[in-house]
Amino acid sequence: MSKPLLTALAAACALSVPALAQARQVTLTTQLKNYGGDGAYLAVYLTDAKGAYAGTLWVAGGKAKYYKHLSDWNRLSAGDTKRLVGVTGASVGAGRTLKVTLDLADALIDAGYEIRVDASVENMRDSPSEVRVPLSASQAGKPQAGKQYIQAVSFQLQ
Amino acid sequence: MNWKTLHRWVGLLLGALVLVLGMTGALLAFDPVQQAWRARPADPGLTVATLAERVARGVPGAEEIRRLPSGAIVVFGFDGEQAQASYVDPADGRVLGAYQASALPRWVKNLHRAFLLGDAGRWGAAGVALGLGLLCASGLVLLLRRMGGWRHMAGRVRGTLAQRIHTVTGRVLLAVLFLTSVTALTMSASTLGLVVLDAGVEPEVASVPTGQAALPVGQLAPLQGLAVQDLRRLNFPDAADPQDTWKLATRQGAGWLDRYTGQRLAWQDATLAQQAVDWAVVLHTGEAAWPWAVVLGLAGASVPLFWLSGLLIWWQARRQAPRTAHNSTLAQADVLVFVASEGGSTWGFAQALHEALVQQGHRVHTAALEQFQTTPATRQVFILAATYGDGQAPTHARLALQRIAAAPVAATPVTVLGFGDRQYPGFCAYAQALDEALRARGWPTLLPLECIHQQSSQQFARWGQALEQALGAPLPLHYVPRLPPTTALALQARQDYPGRPGQPTAILRFALPAQGGLAHFDAGDLLGIVPPGSSVPRYYSLASGWQDGFVEICVRQMPGGLCSTHLLGLVPGGSVQAFVRPNPGFALGRSRRSVVLIGAGTGVAPLAGFIRRNEGHTPMFLYFGGRDPACDDYFGPEIAQWQQQGRVAGVTKVFSRIPGGGGYVQDALRRDAEHLRGLLAHGALVRVCGSQAMARGVAQALDELLAPLHLSVQQLKAEERYAEDVF
Repeated sequence: MSKPLLTALAAACALSVPALAQARQVTLTTQLKNYGGDGAYLAVYLTDAKGAYAGTLWVAGGKAKYYKHLSDWNRLSAGDTKRLVGVTGASVGAGRTLKVTLDLADALIDAGYEIRVDASVENMRDSPSEVRVPLSASQAGKPQAGKQYIQAVSFQLQ
Repeated sequence: MNWKTLHRWVGLLLGALVLVLGMTGALLAFDPVQQAWRARPADPGLTVATLAERVARGVPGAEEIRRLPSGAIVVFGFDGEQAQASYVDPADGRVLGAYQASALPRWVKNLHRAFLLGDAGRWGAAGVALGLGLLCASGLVLLLRRMGGWRHMAGRVRGTLAQRIHTVTGRVLLAVLFLTSVTALTMSASTLGLVVLDAGVEPEVASVPTGQAALPVGQLAPLQGLAVQDLRRLNFPDAADPQDTWKLATRQGAGWLDRYTGQRLAWQDATLAQQAVDWAVVLHTGEAAWPWAVVLGLAGASVPLFWLSGLLIWWQARRQAPRTAHNSTLAQADVLVFVASEGGSTWGFAQALHEALVQQGHRVHTAALEQFQTTPATRQVFILAATYGDGQAPTHARLALQRIAAAPVAATPVTVLGFGDRQYPGFCAYAQALDEALRARGWPTLLPLECIHQQSSQQFARWGQALEQALGAPLPLHYVPRLPPTTALALQARQDYPGRPGQPTAILRFALPAQGGLAHFDAGDLLGIVPPGSSVPRYYSLASGWQDGFVEICVRQMPGGLCSTHLLGLVPGGSVQAFVRPNPGFALGRSRRSVVLIGAGTGVAPLAGFIRRNEGHTPMFLYFGGRDPACDDYFGPEIAQWQQQGRVAGVTKVFSRIPGGGGYVQDALRRDAEHLRGLLAHGALVRVCGSQAMARGVAQALDELLAPLHLSVQQLKAEERYAEDVF
């Protein structure tokens, strides 16, 4: 079965930096399992070394009423009024792959930050923090399996 | 606003989409039924603490317990790396089988709520739901208008098959469909983000490690006081995260519990908006209430009935829509014809009048009644007005009466011709109201008000003859009704009577056509006969039903009558072209109530048909009026035989032209007043068949004897107990 890529370029939020010299381009690939349900809502975000929210990288799924089902992200990012600016897209169908390319400040890499993904599907169980991947150069290119809906998450540093 | 136009256009434009929603909705209604059927709900006294304890024991790796609206308990968790969802028996925590959200493929629901088109489709579906709401609202207004108000809502529905299907289905399911539309809009508003449901941000809470082991779920105090009936969801804390909490969702709101102390760390009440949407979901989907889901499913499945019958009604009205040739402008015309018609058939009569007047050299302008006005050029005005429902104006002419009352009065005669059906208590009531309003304002008239029964072309032609005399010029009116397909009926037998002087009469019995072609009929329905060389049918009341295996009518020679001459000239083997026209108000249903049958002359035919079929021995009482037993005692021997068999409980015959014959049939009724009062007080039905004069006399006699009961023929008609078939 062919699995078309959903590609997006994220270029917002507190994490992108004005001076290109200090930025790294990161491509994040999230492949979903064939879990046999409607399109999944996904929230991809960063937490710092203390587990505090550091910014939202991508939100797949457009209806705010379902955001409470992405419960970790929804709770942690509640104070971020700009959490959705420029980083939203359609929900991701079962078996499909979400590919997001973003510019991240160099300082975030190998500094204890973690990429987290919350997932939720209608009529199925919510899966907060479905995947947690340390944002370190050594993790790049290594797929990390999710608990319920996500086959694998991996990122590439350019 | 014009409700009929609204109803028609919304129905035509959105009908097919409503059909999709209705059919998919009917399919989706299976889910709650199926879920309820397989659900094993918790005992009423069971607490969430006990349930969770059983689940924790029975399902290792459990993460979440959900109570479905059906009452079934579903547990989510992990079996190693594999996510699991299973039904669980609340009595012992045993796994019953894999959980499946729906027995239907997912596309059915997505077709229902979004036409498979994502968010744009959801807006579309919400628009269609709004359209359905408009159809229901306008449908209710039209239904009330048709039935003559709330009080008559349960009454018999008359009209074509399509109209009856549309009206009867609407009467039953309109409220359900309207509720479906309102709840769909509520759900759409929440999904599309038009209303905010959330109780606010989730609180930042954490369990505080005390050094002790976490409490077993059975000992959490807040769960010990919570019945499973109130539970929506219970999330177990993450085994690997010492700060994680129990999360609880109930009907009333959401709570967080410390895993070490069981203490409630935070609580959020469900918002009013959330509760409203929850109710809308229950009412819309029937989840948690499977009998309601069955009702919803039936309502959804009824949409094709509405759609097809609605299209048919629209198509029939369109086919009958006026197309008037040689229509002069209002300013030029010397004759104006105004029409008020509900179904469109009255326009056919207007066209016949229009054409006849044009052939006489008149410049004629025909228009709808609500455009009533006269000009200096006007010499004659005709109003052809049908009556709708229980004596109301046809929809388009609703404001015509006010307009006429406000119009300046001229010396031009305005003649009213009414159209209606005697089965209705308000026969031609609207035409009468028009006529009275015109006379009260001082408009002269050429002819007194005439009321045409059941679109009778003969009666219309007779009115034309009166008009010819009044105008002093020939005016042949040719109204050609659209005829249903006819079938050849071969004469099987005939029974001749002398009848009146010069008017011999015969009971004609035709064979049922072997190859079919004739609609099913009952005694009291009408047989339309098209005589050779004519396109206008004559109607005869049927003295038999199709179950009798023959077609029987009673025909009297009319002076110069084309059809009766042809019929009475038939010899066995000869044939006529015929079709059946239902006479639903007159034919007897399956009621077990006593029946008073009153007939005179050949009018006894349908009554004889009723008695012939009365194998169930319903009490029937026949009152027959003839002139001379030697000439017109129709069905005499048969009736005597049926009386012996108990098919008729009482027979009273009077003959007006012989000494001591008893006078007219109404005289017999008066003599039997006590007996009849008793029957009518106990709900007896009345069927009257004969000439107009006879029917008037009978109604007068019955009104007199009903007066002590504070009843009247009018009331009996309104209760659909009294029906006439007059000629």
